[in-house]
Formats: sequence, structure tokens, C-alpha cells
Amino acid sequence: MEIKSSENESFRLVYEEVFPVVMRVAYHVTYNMDVSEDICQEAFIRFYEKNIDFRSVDEAKYWLIRVTKNLAINVVKRKSREQAMVDKIKKAPKVPVQNGEDALMDSETRTLVREAVEKLPEKLKSVLVLKEYADLNYKQIAGILHISESNVKVRVHRARKIMESMLDREEMHVS
Amino acid sequence: MCLDDQILNTYLDGELSEPWKTQVEEHLNYCAACKRRFEQLRTLHKVVSESRLEEQEIAPRRDKVLQFIEKNYMEKKNSVGFLHRDFRVKTPTLLMAAAAFIVVLVGALVLSPTPHPESDGLIPRVVPTEGAVVQVRATEGLAASQVLDNYPLEEILKYLDSRGYEVDLRVKGIQPMGDQAPNE
Repeated sequence: MEIKSSENESFRLVYEEVFPVVMRVAYHVTYNMDVSEDICQEAFIRFYEKNIDFRSVDEAKYWLIRVTKNLAINVVKRKSREQAMVDKIKKAPKVPVQNGEDALMDSETRTLVREAVEKLPEKLKSVLVLKEYADLNYKQIAGILHISESNVKVRVHRARKIMESMLDREEMHVS
Repeated sequence: MCLDDQILNTYLDGELSEPWKTQVEEHLNYCAACKRRFEQLRTLHKVVSESRLEEQEIAPRRDKVLQFIEKNYMEKKNSVGFLHRDFRVKTPTLLMAAAAFIVVLVGALVLSPTPHPESDGLIPRVVPTEGAVVQVRATEGLAASQVLDNYPLEEILKYLDSRGYEVDLRVKGIQPMGDQAPNE
């Protein structure tokens, strides 16, 4: 289905499907809910105002993910430049405790994982976030980041290696 | 030969193509070490992936941002908000604006209280300097002489005096009386 980003019907269709994905991408790069909301808003406003034709919802989604990721990376870079790293993890929203078998993750583990993701170098972080939180395959990630598929493969592997060593150090047993 | 982490990760992500995929599966069936390592990587992936922002955390933000865009962009498509208004104006409007500006500018110059050159009348004001002589002939220029004709000589002299001229009055053909008196 062809998408015209300035047409209200198209916009709503894409918005419904893509907002959760871009919100997750923004969040797992910045780890700040308010900043992530602003980034997503900015991305969708650009999307609406640019009046771009996309061949499919997926194409629109990739465009939005790319814009969101770039905005988020810029925020992180600016923040680190300003040396104003607040303890964002502590500001993470409190998730209501889930009951039953779905409650696989305790909040402590979640915090450790998020801290580890945050510490990854930018290039590895982008790839891992798109892989683990946007549920994209190597080809899609390669297209969004303008890198080769084999490069994606290597970066996923390196990112996980670093994640594993950081989580091991935190004495979190992943095995 | 055992499998390295990169191959296991690629297999885990479902990105390994044939014939490698089948080979990896066969290997994992009999190699306990690789199987154990694969399970570790799978757990890591699971733990990382499940630390994701959850639907219930996203929903309020999704509604809020959509409302903002609907209100400020979709509804105002025809009556655009101030910041996003197109500032292009039609040429006649632009000309009118330019004309108005010029009128204001000229008005400001004409009415400005800054000292402008005093209307000099017939001759310029001079700054008296020692030895400087300005010769003005009443017959010079028809217009000037006609205007001068309207004034008595006394008034003309007063006027010149007021403007800083030291007047030496000579009448053609008549010698000044004082100069020759001692000789006679």
C-alpha cells in the first residue's frame, strides 16, 4: 500500500503501527522517557510535513526509525558533550509488577541491562537497539543504517560480547 | 571443529543460510559444549530483548503525541499556526509596504529636528577670516539684482553685517574722500 506522509489517513495508519517501535528505539538510545517522547514527536512532525511518498508502510517505518535513531544519537552526543549525564536509569518509569509466568524479568535485571546498553559505543548500540528492540532483521538494519549486512552481523556479535562481559561483571547470571 | 560465537549469534537471529544452517543444527545435536554456549547466547538475547520498554509505558505517550500533531498540524492544515505560516506575500502587498516605508523614511528626514542648512537667501554665510575678501556684485545675476532692488541700501548693509560680512562700499567713478584729503 502506497503511503503519502501528509495524507491524514496514511499518517494515522503508519502512526498506529510505527509509534511503539520508534518510541522504543528512542528510549533505548537515550533512556529518558520525556526526551524520547519529544524525539518521536519531532520525527512524526517531519514525516507529516515532508510529504514523502513511500512504497509501503515498511518503507515509511524504516524512514521514521532512521530519523528517530539519528535524533536520539544526537541528543546523547550533546548530553555527553555537556557533561550533564544525569542518572537516567533512576528516572525509568516504574512498571507495574506483572504476575504469573510472564514476569520473567525482575526490575533489577532490567536496570542492569539498560545500563549496559547505555554504555555501548554508538555504532554497536545503534545496531543492537534496532535488533533487540525494533525487531528488525540484518537486512532491514543494514538498509536503515546504510551499512552492509555482514557489517550488521559483526556489530551484533560484538555488541552482545560486550553486553555479556558487562552483565557478568554485575554478577548477573545469564546462563 | 566447534562453532564460534558469531556463527551461533547469526544462527540465533535466524540469519544463517543453507547449507550452514543445517550444519550448525547437526553440530549442536552432538556437541554439548557448543549447545551450552548457544543456550547462554540465547539467554543473553532473551534478557536484553525483554528489558524493552513495554506497551503500557508507550501507550500514554502515543496518545499524547498524536493529539499534539492532530491539533497543531492536521487540523490546522488550512489555518496554519503562526510559527509555521508561510510568510510569502503577493507582489502588490510588497510594493505597498515598500512605498509606506519610503514615505515614513522621507517624513522622518524632513521633520527631523537635526539642524539643516539655514535658508541662505541670496548669499552664503561666511565665517569671518582675516584678509579674506568676498566680492559680491549687485548686478551679478538678474534674479539677484531684482530681489536686491526691493530693499533699501541700509537694510542690505545691515543684513550683510548680520551674516558676518565686513562691507566695503564703493561707488564707481568717485574717489573716497578721506584718502586724498591730507594731500590737498
